[in-house]
Amino acid sequence: MLALQLAITGLQTGAIYALTAVGFSLIFGSTRIFHFSHGATFIIAAYLFYFVDVSGYGVIPAILAAASGAIVFGLLMYRFIYVPIQRDEGSFFTVFVASFGIGIVVQNVIGMVFGRGYVAVQTSLSKSVELAEGLYVAPLAWIAVLCATVFFAALWYFLRFSTTGMALRALSDNPELVRVFGLNPKFISACAFAIGSLLVVPAAIISGATQGLNPAMGHHVMLISLAATIVGGIGSVPGTLIAGLVLGLAESLALLYVESQWTEAVTFAILFLFILLRPSGLLGRSATH
Amino acid sequence: MEAYLLNLAILISIYSILAVTLNFIMGYAGIYSLAHAVFFGIGAYASSYTALNFSASIFITLPVAMAIGAALSLVLALPALRVRGEYFVAASLGLQVLAVTIFSEWKGVTGGIGGLIGIPPVNIAGLEIYKPGEFIFLTVVTLIVVLVVINRLVHSSFGRSLQAIRDSESAAAAFGKNVPLIKTISVVISAALTAVAGALYASYLAFINVESFMLDTSVLIMAMVIIGGTGTQAGPIVGAALLLLLPSVISYLDFLPQTEIGSIQQIIYGLGMALLMIYRPGGIIGRKKVTSAGGSK
Repeated sequence: MLALQLAITGLQTGAIYALTAVGFSLIFGSTRIFHFSHGATFIIAAYLFYFVDVSGYGVIPAILAAASGAIVFGLLMYRFIYVPIQRDEGSFFTVFVASFGIGIVVQNVIGMVFGRGYVAVQTSLSKSVELAEGLYVAPLAWIAVLCATVFFAALWYFLRFSTTGMALRALSDNPELVRVFGLNPKFISACAFAIGSLLVVPAAIISGATQGLNPAMGHHVMLISLAATIVGGIGSVPGTLIAGLVLGLAESLALLYVESQWTEAVTFAILFLFILLRPSGLLGRSATH
Repeated sequence: MEAYLLNLAILISIYSILAVTLNFIMGYAGIYSLAHAVFFGIGAYASSYTALNFSASIFITLPVAMAIGAALSLVLALPALRVRGEYFVAASLGLQVLAVTIFSEWKGVTGGIGGLIGIPPVNIAGLEIYKPGEFIFLTVVTLIVVLVVINRLVHSSFGRSLQAIRDSESAAAAFGKNVPLIKTISVVISAALTAVAGALYASYLAFINVESFMLDTSVLIMAMVIIGGTGTQAGPIVGAALLLLLPSVISYLDFLPQTEIGSIQQIIYGLGMALLMIYRPGGIIGRKKVTSAGGSK
């Protein structure tokens, strides 16, 4: 029963990880921009939701605030940090450092405004319900899985059938060709940032209710996103999705054997093994682009 | 006031060692490590454990710290051999997170979250050095030795091979360079010298705990290198001095909230990193444009 309990918790964590990581993977895969402040997007969305919710405006305005905050931040990063850097040449390193710097700024500004301790979104949905004897599941777990399913179905439909979605996939294959076809790579990249940032919103909100928020959690979010992107195979959205689920399940099921402070070590071990043995990831093409 | 300045000078020289050693792998070998504080910590814990349990002589504590740092650096070298750029950043970030867990859980050696207290002062052939006025000589001399070692390495054929690898791994391999070996040696040297900084730091403060070796420290060291100038000789030291002087400067500005000095410092260097990358990627000391540092594709 404990294993089943942990598997369900793991599914919830995995759904959250997958949403976060796919956002990063989509941005990185299509634009090749190493958007390290994706973790900052996560905490911005989470704290905006928390703030609007605590102020008593209700859940829907809070969700809207979180979503618009995340999208605006993603677009601002693209327009005012990445575009100017890429105008020159923008190696991986310059982009990473700039993005990283902004991540530090966001973390500390939020820490100054909301305090550096943990805060939690209060909701009755995180209260566990006994489904069977010894099996407790909070409604939020189902909401997390449902959110992930809906968002991924929408994303799949978008990438498969809409013009912008197809252009996005084309961009990851060959940016020059996109230009030749008369499409604007900058507009498509901006779309990638908007959608990628939007994907973390449900994850951020649910995390805020299940495990609480802390301004420094952006680094953890980035570790998970990077790990899932690499384990899944860079440039592969389905791969990242699967990897996110696997990492969440692994972290949770590991509790059968180790204490809770070692869960991040499990993520790291999986990442490390993949880097050493299969750098191209589960569904990736090749590690050396 | 004098004691305050001395203390600051000692910390600047210790952090300069950290920045110089990180710059060695970052600027010359293209290995962007977010785990530099791990080796700083390993050096500190290894030398403190030796000093507390066996002997406080610097001729024992330093070699032990360096040897353990060098041996454990293979954990960093292995992924660096397989992948580069963004993949390696992820691996080093994971390593940093894992190390913090180990530092706070391995109570027998690291003292857990509480840390180690009463670490004996540095002992050079019976002479105990603990007064800041004397300790400053030790740290400055060590910094100079580290600088000379790194400088000699960078300007040797080994250093040229490293830079060739950074700029194009396949080209270096085609010229018959043993890429994995050269990379591994550079990581090992960097980690061993970083461990020296850890040993000095621990015996200077006589107290260490995991908080000095967390991700924030790795980030700070990386910021020092980048703001000073990646791949330059003087850059890391300039960066270290600037970033450590920053909190004192902020505390003179009365209109800023004094309780938030740490945050304000981080906001300033975070913004500094982003703006430098847009306008001057080479850092304060560096060339105006970095030509190929990093090119991972």
